[in-house]
Amino acid sequence: MCDWCEKYGDGYERWYFNPANYARRLYKIRREEAESLGAEANPQVAGGMAVVGREFLEAMDRGDEEEVQKMRQQVESASWFTHFGQVVTLEEALRVIDIMYPIALITCACRRSMLGLPDEENFTCMGMGPGMYKWERWPDTYRGGVQFLTPEEAKEVITKLNKRGLVQSLFTFGTPYLGGLCNCDYPGCAAIRTVVDLGIRILWKGHYVAQVDHDLCNGCASCIQRCQFKALSFSGSMNKAYIDQFQCFGCGLCVSECDQEAITLVERASLPALANVW
Amino acid sequence: MLPTIIVDDDKCPDPLSCRKCLLVCPNYVLGLGTDVPVEKYRETDREHFVVRGVRFEKCTGCMDCVNVCPHDAIRVTFSGGI
Repeated sequence: MCDWCEKYGDGYERWYFNPANYARRLYKIRREEAESLGAEANPQVAGGMAVVGREFLEAMDRGDEEEVQKMRQQVESASWFTHFGQVVTLEEALRVIDIMYPIALITCACRRSMLGLPDEENFTCMGMGPGMYKWERWPDTYRGGVQFLTPEEAKEVITKLNKRGLVQSLFTFGTPYLGGLCNCDYPGCAAIRTVVDLGIRILWKGHYVAQVDHDLCNGCASCIQRCQFKALSFSGSMNKAYIDQFQCFGCGLCVSECDQEAITLVERASLPALANVW
Repeated sequence: MLPTIIVDDDKCPDPLSCRKCLLVCPNYVLGLGTDVPVEKYRETDREHFVVRGVRFEKCTGCMDCVNVCPHDAIRVTFSGGI
């Protein structure tokens, strides 16, 4: 079972369907963010330029698995306490919009940090809950401003971003307070890069796993570009899509692209070997 | 092999507007940050934005960032040469 559902689900099907996790009471007890390993060596960045410093990359580079593993665990436990995410499907994201308020469109700190995107081109992130009311106090954290949306508008925006190929993920700001509904992709999202490139799980896999029905797949390959997690490839010999289910984050982007309905999402919990792969 | 990436901030006056190096990098190795902490009630001035190497493990040494910089502010070196 998902650790977070167990700890913070309180009887709800998923921890992010529990309205208490969006509540101000939790927001008020946000802890001071612990400095992540080596990251203080980097200049200060709104949203975080990186969660690890050069010493992690050096340990990886010299193949010091023991040291890498040690640092990985340190960074993970700090991030799970303060700020980490979990991938959700579009349907789940839309359901979340119905249970919390307010929701606002904000600029993406990752893409600003990686690409220097001007604010007007960078409104792909969403902030949720009471945190959105304090943006004027921290104009640099919310650079570009905050655009409040009605639930219907928010659903429309999320659906469009999903169509464009962005994955929805929910982020904590002082776990379990959920304050971010991010729209992520590789390589522009720092969280996806950190988990995919460095194996540091600051972004958890979702509650589903995608599966290809080889009889239905017609080999059109339109799904291939949808995967942001390096889990989906195209088998030239079989002329079929291939999904590495151990690498799949269960976002469903490939599912919605397939007009043959050859890809389906199955519950992670229903697969014994994957039930605890997060 | 990890590169050393040095950016001369004095030669790089406004990376937030320029961002040529960020966009040219095939692997998004560089990062844009600020050299001062985020402050209450004010937006960080543009001159405090800086470019740094971040995802060193993805740098191939192509030197596109070095060449695209209009101010010759970036140096990329590998201990093995180049």
